[in-house]
Amino acid sequence: MNEYVLEVNDVVKRYLDFTLDKVSFKVPKGSIVGLIGENGAGKSTTINIALDLVRKEQGTVTVLGQEIPNEAHHWKEDVGVVFDGINFHEALTPLEIGKILSSGYKQWDDKVYQNYLAKFQLAQNKRIKDFSKGMKTKLCIAAALSHDPKLLILDEATSGLDPVMRDDMLDVFLDFVQDENHSILMSSHITTDLEKVADYIVLIHQGKIILSQSKDELIYNYGIIRCGAALFEALDKSEILAYRKCDFQWEVLVADKAKFKKQYRDAVIDNASIDDILLLYVKGEQAK
Amino acid sequence: MKSLILKDLYNIGHHSRSMLLMLLIFGVIFLPTNGLISYVIMCCVMCSMMIVTTFAFDENAKWTKYAVIMPVSKNQIVLSKFIVLLIFTVIGTLVGSIVGGIGGALIQVFDYARLEDWINLITTSGIGLVIAFFFGSIVIPLLYKYGAEKARVLSLVAFVLPVVACVGLYKVLLTLGFVFSDRLVFTGMMLSPVLVLIWSIFMYKISCKIFGQQEF
Repeated sequence: MNEYVLEVNDVVKRYLDFTLDKVSFKVPKGSIVGLIGENGAGKSTTINIALDLVRKEQGTVTVLGQEIPNEAHHWKEDVGVVFDGINFHEALTPLEIGKILSSGYKQWDDKVYQNYLAKFQLAQNKRIKDFSKGMKTKLCIAAALSHDPKLLILDEATSGLDPVMRDDMLDVFLDFVQDENHSILMSSHITTDLEKVADYIVLIHQGKIILSQSKDELIYNYGIIRCGAALFEALDKSEILAYRKCDFQWEVLVADKAKFKKQYRDAVIDNASIDDILLLYVKGEQAK
Repeated sequence: MKSLILKDLYNIGHHSRSMLLMLLIFGVIFLPTNGLISYVIMCCVMCSMMIVTTFAFDENAKWTKYAVIMPVSKNQIVLSKFIVLLIFTVIGTLVGSIVGGIGGALIQVFDYARLEDWINLITTSGIGLVIAFFFGSIVIPLLYKYGAEKARVLSLVAFVLPVVACVGLYKVLLTLGFVFSDRLVFTGMMLSPVLVLIWSIFMYKISCKIFGQQEF
């Protein structure tokens, strides 16, 4: 049995002003993988290629053991997707959406859908145009979860939600991955959400994968050294991942903060949040 | 594929009252002036053109991106639009025949007691259905290629070109001394559904090719 639900290997896609350059990462079974990066980094393009919405020029994508694109489209039964923004017509109601999707998915479970509608407090006969952005997102999530997907792909799905709604959704996602056959690939700007739920973090910057690590390793091992110019010059550059000069100090990202603490006892070494790591990779310079 | 058809029917269903009202108003205006045949054909063509509206709705909702990740093939997505076109055309034919029949009886251009009038109405409805499906199947590849807004304009050209070509050919044949006998016209009418079916299969193949090349 394959231990990965999604494998992206050396995927290349060239546009006039942007190239997705040999992107590779994997989504293990039973895990949540967070895909982070600045706007235009290539997150959505990567997801669109994984879903065969955009053609790749090189590389392979394997979803649930099947290489994509595939003439057979049955793999789509097992993939639930929520894009940024709603894809349902505003004149329709959740009840009609349920009827439409139940004819489209063999695995559709109307009872599960009704339960989600009740849980998310979405009126069945209210037109979508009368829903708030948060309610629309909830409807999309309900629809995506109601055909028993094994892989849930969320492309900036929670970005329009307030913190309370986001927290509710994160609980739903955590419930979903309680089944070890379920996995989530989640692209988000809100890295604090990923800190709460993700098992792995994939950072993409200017079309390239910069890091692909377990979240715990990032949180517990990565650190930021804040130091003056003298200490910065003295640092072993081969151990540095990225750095940037701020107003009065240098910020240096290192992969093993414990080691640096031992080596440079006077240096201030803070824990690195995912936001810090993203900022240093994107706004700073990467060590050679 | 059923889900895709259902989606279009629900969407248009929410706007069906205004369409029906429009057909009734047109009935009041055009039945006395242009006659029953024009009205029935107009109803068929107007209803078939609701296919353009479904594309506009899809574009507005960014639905196609969602449809592509559903467990249907791209060819099935295209086929669903041709089936929806057929459904709309049949609805237009039925509404046109019923409203035209009742309206025609009221203004005494249709006598429900005369078998000949019924045959004329049924024949007209059949012709209307074939014409509307023919035009609709030209518009679908344009919609896939250029989107709803541009296709609306281009579809006018797509309507005019075949009409001009047919009228031109008719006039040339008349000039050359060709005689359009009743038998020939009847044979042509009988063959027209088959010809339009072949034409729409051709349009379907073109649409599949265009849609297959698109990215979302």
